[in-house]
Amino acid sequence: MPHAELLIEFAEAATGDDPDRLARARAAVADTLGPAALVDSAGVAAIFQAVVRIADATGIPLEDYKAEITEDVREELGINDFPSTKA
Amino acid sequence: MTELTYRASPVPIRDDLAAAHRRAWRRIAEPGTWWEGATRVAIAAETRNAPACDLCKRRKQALSPNAVSGDHDSLGVLPEAVVEVIHRVRTDASRLSESWYRGVLETGLSDGEYVETVGIVATIVAIDRFTHAMGLPTHPLPEPVPGEPTRRRPAGAKPGLAWVPTVAPEDRTDAEPDMYRDRSAANIHRALSLVPDEVVGFFDLDDVQYLPDALLRDFGNEHRDITHAQIELLAARVSAINQCVY
Repeated sequence: MPHAELLIEFAEAATGDDPDRLARARAAVADTLGPAALVDSAGVAAIFQAVVRIADATGIPLEDYKAEITEDVREELGINDFPSTKA
Repeated sequence: MTELTYRASPVPIRDDLAAAHRRAWRRIAEPGTWWEGATRVAIAAETRNAPACDLCKRRKQALSPNAVSGDHDSLGVLPEAVVEVIHRVRTDASRLSESWYRGVLETGLSDGEYVETVGIVATIVAIDRFTHAMGLPTHPLPEPVPGEPTRRRPAGAKPGLAWVPTVAPEDRTDAEPDMYRDRSAANIHRALSLVPDEVVGFFDLDDVQYLPDALLRDFGNEHRDITHAQIELLAARVSAINQCVY
Protein backbone atom coordinates (compact mmCIF):
# COMPACT_ATOMS: atom_id res chain seq x y z
CA MET A 1 0.00 0.00 0.00
CA PRO A 2 1.46 3.39 -0.91
CA HIS A 3 2.71 5.41 2.08
CA ALA A 4 1.57 2.85 4.64
CA GLU A 5 4.42 3.56 7.06
CA LEU A 6 3.79 7.29 6.84
CA LEU A 7 0.11 6.83 7.68
CA ILE A 8 0.75 4.37 10.48
CA GLU A 9 3.15 6.85 12.06
CA PHE A 10 0.51 9.58 11.69
CA ALA A 11 -2.19 7.35 13.26
CA GLU A 12 0.07 6.56 16.21
CA ALA A 13 1.13 10.18 16.68
CA ALA A 14 -2.45 11.46 16.40
CA THR A 15 -3.61 8.94 18.99
CA GLY A 16 -0.84 9.88 21.40
CA ASP A 17 0.06 13.12 23.11
CA ASP A 18 3.64 13.81 22.01
CA PRO A 19 3.40 17.19 20.24
CA ASP A 20 6.82 16.97 18.58
CA ARG A 21 6.14 13.50 17.15
CA LEU A 22 2.73 14.62 15.92
CA ALA A 23 4.14 17.78 14.32
CA ARG A 24 6.70 15.70 12.41
CA ALA A 25 4.08 13.17 11.33
CA ARG A 26 1.69 15.92 10.26
CA ALA A 27 4.34 17.67 8.18
CA ALA A 28 5.33 14.39 6.56
CA VAL A 29 1.76 13.62 5.50
CA ALA A 30 1.18 17.15 4.22
CA ASP A 31 4.47 17.24 2.31
CA THR A 32 4.08 13.77 0.80
CA LEU A 33 0.34 13.41 0.20
CA GLY A 34 -0.83 17.03 0.31
CA PRO A 35 -2.86 19.15 2.74
CA ALA A 36 -6.22 17.69 1.72
CA ALA A 37 -4.94 14.20 2.49
CA LEU A 38 -3.77 15.45 5.87
CA VAL A 39 -7.30 16.67 6.66
CA ASP A 40 -8.78 13.34 5.57
CA SER A 41 -6.22 11.39 7.60
CA ALA A 42 -6.84 13.51 10.69
CA GLY A 43 -10.57 13.02 10.29
CA VAL A 44 -10.29 9.23 10.18
CA ALA A 45 -7.81 9.04 13.06
CA ALA A 46 -10.06 11.25 15.20
CA ILE A 47 -13.39 9.60 14.46
CA PHE A 48 -12.03 6.16 15.24
CA GLN A 49 -10.85 7.34 18.66
CA ALA A 50 -14.55 8.06 19.22
CA VAL A 51 -15.95 4.93 17.55
CA VAL A 52 -13.87 2.63 19.76
CA ARG A 53 -15.26 4.36 22.85
CA ILE A 54 -18.85 3.87 21.69
CA ALA A 55 -18.18 0.20 21.00
CA ASP A 56 -16.41 -0.41 24.30
CA ALA A 57 -18.86 1.61 26.44
CA THR A 58 -21.99 -0.05 25.08
CA GLY A 59 -20.70 -3.61 24.92
CA ILE A 60 -21.74 -4.27 21.35
CA PRO A 61 -20.40 -7.59 20.06
CA LEU A 62 -18.65 -8.21 16.79
CA GLU A 63 -21.22 -9.34 14.22
CA ASP A 64 -21.21 -13.15 13.74
CA TYR A 65 -20.14 -12.94 10.10
CA LYS A 66 -17.25 -10.63 10.98
CA ALA A 67 -16.19 -12.86 13.85
CA GLU A 68 -16.20 -15.85 11.51
CA ILE A 69 -14.16 -14.34 8.70
CA THR A 70 -11.64 -12.71 11.04
CA GLU A 71 -11.09 -15.69 13.34
CA ASP A 72 -7.59 -16.50 12.10
CA VAL A 73 -6.36 -12.94 11.77
CA ARG A 74 -7.60 -12.00 15.26
CA GLU A 75 -5.66 -14.90 16.71
CA GLU A 76 -2.55 -14.12 14.67
CA LEU A 77 -2.52 -10.43 15.61
CA GLY A 78 -3.28 -10.99 19.29
CA ILE A 79 -6.60 -9.14 19.07
CA ASN A 80 -8.29 -11.89 21.09
CA ASP A 81 -6.08 -10.85 24.02
CA PHE A 82 -7.45 -7.27 24.11
CA PRO A 83 -9.12 -6.48 27.46
CA SER A 84 -12.48 -5.80 25.81
CA THR A 85 -12.73 -9.45 24.74
CA LYS A 86 -12.91 -10.39 28.40
CA ALA A 87 -15.55 -7.87 29.43
CA MET B 1 -23.70 31.83 20.12
CA THR B 2 -20.18 31.96 18.66
CA GLU B 3 -20.06 29.56 15.73
CA LEU B 4 -17.35 26.94 15.48
CA THR B 5 -15.06 27.92 12.61
CA TYR B 6 -11.95 26.76 10.79
CA ARG B 7 -11.37 30.08 9.01
CA ALA B 8 -8.02 30.58 10.81
CA SER B 9 -6.71 27.13 9.89
CA PRO B 10 -3.52 27.32 7.80
CA VAL B 11 -4.67 24.17 6.01
CA PRO B 12 -8.08 24.43 4.30
CA ILE B 13 -10.68 22.27 6.05
CA ARG B 14 -13.34 20.71 3.81
CA ASP B 15 -16.62 22.63 3.91
CA ASP B 16 -18.66 19.50 4.61
CA LEU B 17 -16.43 18.62 7.54
CA ALA B 18 -16.57 22.11 9.05
CA ALA B 19 -20.35 22.18 8.60
CA ALA B 20 -20.76 18.84 10.38
CA HIS B 21 -18.63 20.07 13.27
CA ARG B 22 -20.82 23.19 13.54
CA ARG B 23 -23.94 21.01 13.62
CA ALA B 24 -22.39 18.85 16.32
CA TRP B 25 -21.51 21.92 18.41
CA ARG B 26 -25.07 23.20 18.17
CA ARG B 27 -26.36 19.75 19.10
CA ILE B 28 -24.11 19.61 22.17
CA ALA B 29 -25.57 22.92 23.36
CA GLU B 30 -29.24 22.06 22.84
CA PRO B 31 -31.48 20.06 25.18
CA GLY B 32 -31.11 16.37 24.41
CA THR B 33 -33.26 13.36 25.17
CA TRP B 34 -32.40 13.03 28.85
CA TRP B 35 -30.08 15.96 29.62
CA GLU B 36 -30.63 19.72 29.43
CA GLY B 37 -28.27 21.79 27.31
CA ALA B 38 -26.33 22.98 30.36
CA THR B 39 -25.70 19.38 31.45
CA ARG B 40 -24.66 18.38 27.93
CA VAL B 41 -22.11 21.20 27.80
CA ALA B 42 -20.92 20.25 31.31
CA ILE B 43 -20.42 16.67 30.08
CA ALA B 44 -18.39 18.06 27.18
CA ALA B 45 -16.25 20.11 29.59
CA GLU B 46 -15.74 17.12 31.89
CA THR B 47 -14.68 15.02 28.89
CA ARG B 48 -11.91 17.53 28.26
CA ASN B 49 -10.97 17.52 31.94
CA ALA B 50 -10.74 13.72 32.28
CA PRO B 51 -7.19 13.17 30.91
CA ALA B 52 -5.80 15.34 33.73
CA CYS B 53 -7.52 13.30 36.47
CA ASP B 54 -5.00 11.75 38.88
CA LEU B 55 -7.30 8.82 39.77
CA CYS B 56 -7.72 7.99 36.08
CA LYS B 57 -3.95 8.13 35.55
CA ARG B 58 -3.35 5.76 38.47
CA ARG B 59 -6.08 3.40 37.28
CA LYS B 60 -4.66 3.40 33.77
CA GLN B 61 -1.29 2.25 35.16
CA ALA B 62 -2.82 -0.45 37.36
CA LEU B 63 -3.20 -4.06 36.32
CA SER B 64 -6.91 -3.66 37.01
CA PRO B 65 -8.75 -0.33 37.26
CA ASN B 66 -10.76 -1.86 40.11
CA ALA B 67 -7.61 -2.11 42.22
CA VAL B 68 -7.37 1.67 42.58
CA SER B 69 -9.89 3.64 44.58
CA GLY B 70 -10.31 7.35 45.17
CA ASP B 71 -12.16 10.38 43.89
CA HIS B 72 -12.00 11.80 40.40
CA ASP B 73 -10.51 15.26 39.86
CA SER B 74 -13.71 16.67 38.39
CA LEU B 75 -14.92 20.15 37.56
CA GLY B 76 -17.48 19.73 40.34
CA VAL B 77 -20.56 20.33 38.23
CA LEU B 78 -21.89 16.84 37.53
CA PRO B 79 -22.93 13.99 39.85
CA GLU B 80 -20.13 11.55 40.68
CA ALA B 81 -21.77 8.71 38.70
CA VAL B 82 -21.78 10.81 35.53
CA VAL B 83 -18.18 11.86 36.14
CA GLU B 84 -17.20 8.20 36.56
CA VAL B 85 -18.79 7.35 33.20
CA ILE B 86 -17.18 10.27 31.40
CA HIS B 87 -13.71 9.69 32.85
CA ARG B 88 -13.69 5.92 32.28
CA VAL B 89 -15.03 6.19 28.72
CA ARG B 90 -12.57 8.95 27.90
CA THR B 91 -9.45 7.49 29.53
CA ASP B 92 -9.76 3.68 29.76
CA ALA B 93 -12.63 2.49 27.58
CA SER B 94 -11.10 -0.83 26.54
CA ARG B 95 -11.25 -2.10 30.15
CA LEU B 96 -14.91 -1.28 30.74
CA SER B 97 -17.05 -4.28 31.63
CA GLU B 98 -20.71 -5.13 31.83
CA SER B 99 -20.46 -5.44 35.61
CA TRP B 100 -19.05 -1.90 35.78
CA TYR B 101 -21.94 -0.69 33.60
CA ARG B 102 -24.50 -2.43 35.83
CA GLY B 103 -22.84 -0.87 38.87
CA VAL B 104 -23.15 2.59 37.37
CA LEU B 105 -26.89 2.04 36.82
CA GLU B 106 -27.25 0.97 40.46
CA THR B 107 -26.06 4.42 41.52
CA GLY B 108 -29.20 5.90 39.94
CA LEU B 109 -28.09 6.81 36.43
CA SER B 110 -30.63 5.59 33.86
CA ASP B 111 -29.61 3.61 30.79
CA GLY B 112 -30.82 6.47 28.58
CA GLU B 113 -28.75 9.02 30.49
CA TYR B 114 -25.76 6.67 30.21
CA VAL B 115 -26.11 6.28 26.44
CA GLU B 116 -26.59 10.02 25.90
CA THR B 117 -23.48 10.68 27.99
CA VAL B 118 -21.45 8.22 25.89
CA GLY B 119 -22.69 9.95 22.75
CA ILE B 120 -21.55 13.35 24.00
CA VAL B 121 -18.14 12.02 25.06
CA ALA B 122 -17.70 10.43 21.62
CA THR B 123 -18.68 13.65 19.86
CA ILE B 124 -16.18 15.70 21.83
CA VAL B 125 -13.44 13.11 21.26
CA ALA B 126 -14.12 13.08 17.51
CA ILE B 127 -13.84 16.85 17.18
CA ASP B 128 -11.12 17.53 19.75
CA ARG B 129 -8.88 14.77 18.43
CA PHE B 130 -9.35 16.18 14.93
CA THR B 131 -8.10 19.62 15.98
CA HIS B 132 -5.33 17.89 17.95
CA ALA B 133 -4.25 15.89 14.89
CA MET B 134 -4.33 19.03 12.75
CA GLY B 135 -2.39 21.14 15.27
CA LEU B 136 -5.32 23.53 15.63
CA PRO B 137 -6.59 25.14 18.84
CA THR B 138 -9.43 23.43 20.68
CA HIS B 139 -12.80 25.03 19.95
CA PRO B 140 -14.41 26.93 22.84
CA LEU B 141 -17.43 24.99 24.07
CA PRO B 142 -20.82 26.38 23.05
CA GLU B 143 -23.20 28.25 25.33
CA PRO B 144 -26.05 25.99 26.51
CA VAL B 145 -29.45 26.51 24.93
CA PRO B 146 -32.32 26.59 27.45
CA GLY B 147 -35.14 24.08 27.21
CA GLU B 148 -36.33 20.73 28.39
CA PRO B 149 -35.08 17.32 27.23
CA THR B 150 -37.62 15.30 25.25
CA ARG B 151 -37.43 12.29 27.63
CA ARG B 152 -38.63 10.03 24.80
CA ARG B 153 -37.52 6.42 25.07
CA PRO B 154 -37.91 4.38 21.89
CA ALA B 155 -40.78 1.94 22.33
CA GLY B 156 -38.86 -0.72 20.43
CA ALA B 157 -35.75 -0.66 22.61
CA LYS B 158 -34.85 -4.17 23.77
CA PRO B 159 -32.08 -5.74 25.83
CA GLY B 160 -29.91 -8.51 24.45
CA LEU B 161 -27.57 -7.29 21.75
CA ALA B 162 -25.30 -5.19 23.96
CA TRP B 163 -25.00 -4.14 27.61
CA VAL B 164 -27.36 -1.28 26.82
CA PRO B 165 -30.82 -1.79 25.28
CA THR B 166 -30.86 -1.16 21.53
CA VAL B 167 -33.41 -0.65 18.78
CA ALA B 168 -33.35 -3.05 15.83
CA PRO B 169 -34.30 -1.49 12.48
CA GLU B 170 -37.53 -3.49 12.41
CA ASP B 171 -38.48 -2.17 15.87
CA ARG B 172 -38.01 1.51 15.07
CA THR B 173 -41.21 3.57 14.97
CA ASP B 174 -42.07 6.86 13.30
CA ALA B 175 -41.89 8.54 16.71
CA GLU B 176 -38.10 8.45 16.36
CA PRO B 177 -35.77 9.95 13.78
CA ASP B 178 -34.85 7.51 11.03
CA MET B 179 -31.47 6.66 12.47
CA TYR B 180 -30.87 3.83 10.01
CA ARG B 181 -31.61 5.82 6.87
CA ASP B 182 -28.69 5.48 4.47
CA ARG B 183 -26.79 3.14 6.79
CA SER B 184 -26.74 -0.53 7.65
CA ALA B 185 -27.91 -2.02 10.91
CA ALA B 186 -24.32 -2.93 11.83
CA ASN B 187 -23.90 -3.21 15.57
CA ILE B 188 -21.90 0.02 15.78
CA HIS B 189 -24.88 1.87 14.25
CA ARG B 190 -27.19 0.28 16.84
CA ALA B 191 -24.93 0.93 19.84
CA LEU B 192 -26.44 4.32 20.77
CA SER B 193 -29.94 3.60 19.43
CA LEU B 194 -31.56 3.85 22.86
CA VAL B 195 -31.09 7.59 22.22
CA PRO B 196 -31.77 7.92 18.48
CA ASP B 197 -30.65 11.55 18.27
CA GLU B 198 -27.18 10.48 19.38
CA VAL B 199 -27.04 7.96 16.52
CA VAL B 200 -28.07 10.59 14.00
CA GLY B 201 -25.68 13.17 15.44
CA PHE B 202 -22.63 10.96 15.81
CA PHE B 203 -22.90 9.37 12.38
CA ASP B 204 -23.37 12.80 10.83
CA LEU B 205 -19.75 13.30 11.97
CA ASP B 206 -18.71 9.79 10.95
CA ASP B 207 -20.00 10.38 7.40
CA VAL B 208 -17.58 13.29 6.88
CA GLN B 209 -14.60 12.17 8.95
CA TYR B 210 -14.69 8.54 7.70
CA LEU B 211 -17.08 7.74 4.84
CA PRO B 212 -20.86 7.54 4.39
CA ASP B 213 -22.03 3.94 4.66
CA ALA B 214 -23.06 3.83 0.99
CA LEU B 215 -19.51 4.64 -0.11
CA LEU B 216 -17.67 2.24 2.17
CA ARG B 217 -17.62 -0.55 -0.39
CA ASP B 218 -17.56 1.64 -3.49
CA PHE B 219 -14.09 0.36 -4.27
CA GLY B 220 -14.27 1.50 -7.88
CA ASN B 221 -14.14 5.14 -6.87
CA GLU B 222 -12.20 7.16 -4.33
CA HIS B 223 -14.05 9.85 -2.43
CA ARG B 224 -11.22 11.35 -0.38
CA ASP B 225 -7.64 12.41 -0.97
CA ILE B 226 -6.54 9.12 0.57
CA THR B 227 -7.67 5.74 -0.77
CA HIS B 228 -10.14 3.29 0.75
CA ALA B 229 -7.19 1.10 1.73
CA GLN B 230 -5.35 4.00 3.36
CA ILE B 231 -8.51 5.00 5.26
CA GLU B 232 -8.91 1.46 6.59
CA LEU B 233 -5.22 1.30 7.53
CA LEU B 234 -5.60 4.44 9.67
CA ALA B 235 -8.83 3.14 11.21
CA ALA B 236 -7.34 -0.25 12.01
CA ARG B 237 -4.19 1.22 13.57
CA VAL B 238 -6.18 3.60 15.79
CA SER B 239 -8.53 0.80 16.84
CA ALA B 240 -5.59 -1.48 17.66
CA ILE B 241 -3.83 1.22 19.71
CA ASN B 242 -7.07 1.58 21.65
CA GLN B 243 -7.29 -2.22 21.99
CA CYS B 244 -10.81 -2.26 20.62
CA VAL B 245 -11.93 -5.60 19.27
CA TYR B 246 -14.90 -4.20 17.39
